[in-house]
Amino acid sequence: MDSASPDSTSTESPAQPTGETAAFEPPRRGFFVKFLAAFLGMIVGAVPFVTGLLFFLDPLIRRGKATQDGAMNNPDGVEKDEDGFVNLKVAVDALPADGTPQAVKVHDDKVDAWNKFLNVEVGTVWLLRNEQGGVTAFNTVCPHLGCSVDYRQSNDDFYCPCHQSAFDLKGSKLNQIPPRSMDQLKVKVKDGKNVWLKFQNFRGATTEKIPT
Amino acid sequence: MNKLLNWLDDRTGIRELMHEALFERIPGGARWRYVWGSTLVFTFSIQVITGLFLWTAYSPSAQTAWESVYYIQDVMYMGNIVRGIHHYSSSIMVVLMAIHLIQVIIDGAYKAPREINYWLGLILMQIVLALSLTGYLLPWDQKGYYATQVTTKIMGATPIVGAQIQELVQGGPAYGHHTLTRFFAMHAGVLPGLLMLFLGLHIYVFRRHGITTPDPDRAPETTFWPDQVLKDAVACLGVLGVILALAVFKGAELSGPANPSEAYSAARPEWYFLFLFRFLRFEAIEHIGLAFGAIYVPGALMGIITLMPIIAWWKGGHKFNVAFMWLIAIGVGVLTGLAMYEDDKDVGHQASIAEANRDAERVRELAKRPSKIPIEGAGSLLRDDPFTQGPRIFAKYCASCHRYNGHNGRGRMVMEQLKEQENGKEVSRAVASIPTGADLGNFGGEGWWKLLLLNYENHVGGFTKIEDSEMATWSKDSRKAMQDPKNADDVKAIYEYLASLSARPDSEYNKKLVEKGRKIATGEEFITAGKFASCTDCHGTLGETFEATGEGFGYPDIADYGSKPWLTAFINDPGTDQFYGEDNNKMPAFKGKISDRELDLLVRWMTGDYYETEVEDYESKVKVLEEALKARNGP
Repeated sequence: MDSASPDSTSTESPAQPTGETAAFEPPRRGFFVKFLAAFLGMIVGAVPFVTGLLFFLDPLIRRGKATQDGAMNNPDGVEKDEDGFVNLKVAVDALPADGTPQAVKVHDDKVDAWNKFLNVEVGTVWLLRNEQGGVTAFNTVCPHLGCSVDYRQSNDDFYCPCHQSAFDLKGSKLNQIPPRSMDQLKVKVKDGKNVWLKFQNFRGATTEKIPT
Repeated sequence: MNKLLNWLDDRTGIRELMHEALFERIPGGARWRYVWGSTLVFTFSIQVITGLFLWTAYSPSAQTAWESVYYIQDVMYMGNIVRGIHHYSSSIMVVLMAIHLIQVIIDGAYKAPREINYWLGLILMQIVLALSLTGYLLPWDQKGYYATQVTTKIMGATPIVGAQIQELVQGGPAYGHHTLTRFFAMHAGVLPGLLMLFLGLHIYVFRRHGITTPDPDRAPETTFWPDQVLKDAVACLGVLGVILALAVFKGAELSGPANPSEAYSAARPEWYFLFLFRFLRFEAIEHIGLAFGAIYVPGALMGIITLMPIIAWWKGGHKFNVAFMWLIAIGVGVLTGLAMYEDDKDVGHQASIAEANRDAERVRELAKRPSKIPIEGAGSLLRDDPFTQGPRIFAKYCASCHRYNGHNGRGRMVMEQLKEQENGKEVSRAVASIPTGADLGNFGGEGWWKLLLLNYENHVGGFTKIEDSEMATWSKDSRKAMQDPKNADDVKAIYEYLASLSARPDSEYNKKLVEKGRKIATGEEFITAGKFASCTDCHGTLGETFEATGEGFGYPDIADYGSKPWLTAFINDPGTDQFYGEDNNKMPAFKGKISDRELDLLVRWMTGDYYETEVEDYESKVKVLEEALKARNGP
């Protein structure tokens, strides 16, 4: 915008035209005046831009700070233990004994900029009951590009309809499309019946499992 | 480099363009007086840059506008600086625009052949004013909300189509989501677009006719680059310095979230519209009608300013124009000064500002809690806050008899009209009301007990002496012992004990002292020297829990005195036997008169049960009240 208006303190291209054709010869000025004019022009333009840019970089600059607020417990919020496991309110007995995966919605307290939403859906997990009465949990988000992984009854496997990633029921990848196996989540079975889960999302398209 | 430039030049003609831009001829040499146009372009660039960045964080809706601006201002990195720059640049822009216009008129730069450019400039001025007006509402705070209400009401006063215009601007019959989305679309889209268009035309026409030089032979002719650019850059640096200083040291204001049900008597337009505000306040103008004062008069003045190039055709026209301009400038200056002076002297307005500031600080404090802002918006934070609502409820129900540190709870004096006979005529005079109930400023605390025990007859009835009371007699009888230096430690313990009954969450009590005080107050131990009848001689329930106690038969139950349940029961009905009893009571029962919610907020405020605050409370008016009551008795 600055450069569009000849009246402004434009700093662009202080180069003087070489082939001067106009009848009027501009006065020759010393390097110092030109340098100073360009320099000051640059400063006044840069100050608002740089402050604005730093403001824009806020998510990177304050990274980590924002997530800390989420740990706070609230009576209306989700039931959470000190290790960050939330009560899924699902009994182990309610899961199919043959190990068929069940999709369960996960509720958590979610901080979003100036708001804090209590007890809202933050994701879905596949829960599988094993023979020993334990429970395995996978995040339904595909480690490839973040679509939702389905359970395919016909093949008894996990399958992502977006890019055809496939995983067995242990979460291991069955083809080369996903970069890693499904993201398993930590589970606690409390009092022998209630499933508690530490919910996490991970970055997509990486071979490592990196929490976001 | 040169090769690249040649390549580019062949295809775009950039060299000629740059030459055209940079080597504008300036007869008479570069001068400081030519910098104003450039500083205006510069401030506009600042607004575009900071505005775009603010856009990345602003959310225009009734439940998120204030909230997102709060987040920008108090939480985001450099947010207060970016918003501060944007805020103060708009003010500075108006100032620079006035300077630019005054200079143009004085120099007669509007004369032929530059009339069109003058008119383009006036259009630009209107756009800039519209930008500041629309921007003022966007934070959706009390100040912007109520000030803009006035503007849209004025639009509603437009003849014939007023109601339609107002509704279109508001996006509906009342303020809401669409008021914000419409104002935002204007502020960030339509108006800046128009401004760029007209600025382009303005500069194009300006270049066509060249600079208006009052004195072309003053110095050898020069060019825009680098001589004038240097001067312009220095001027812009100065402007930037002022803006930064204001942004850093003063900061942009953010009052409480807009609340249509919470009157905001401190509402004022942005300072450069104050003159219009003051003009509309003249009784005569008000009498003629809003459309006259707010539309016809400013319209006529702008009309004359617009016609200046034509007026100048006549002999003496230019002189008239300059005189007219100074007349308006003086008028605007006087009205602005008058408005500021009056507001400064207006006790009511100052109290409104104090309350607005208290609310603003408080809501930002509440929003910073880990529980953050609820989805229904930040307004609910204040609505449910005892520290905010308590004083208002106190003023509504209690302040006709009681005071709170001398004021009505909200920092204002309680006044009344006193009718007097003067030279056979009845005149009325505003005087301070005489309180007939205790000042509850320190209710339940050590200061409260000090006054109650040492000076009962003067304390409990406010400025109305209560002498026919057993407690007043006790106070007189015990005064000597209470003030005896030998008893100093005992008395301190008694205060500490009595204050501890309220168990305020915002106070801490010394356990040892409390226990010692309890023993003396309940008669288990005696005071070191002198005569002191223990409290339990009359108030038998002292030392028990409040809920467990029964009837006091006119000796108030002071178990857990000043605690939440105690105060709630007391306000509900102080005339029961548990408290004063029917015969001794002067205070009305509030059961049924005050809602449970209001009572809860009031009691929680008075007993310190609210989220801890660092906001300064209203200044004590105890001394002011004393003086006012002395003055009331008159000369």
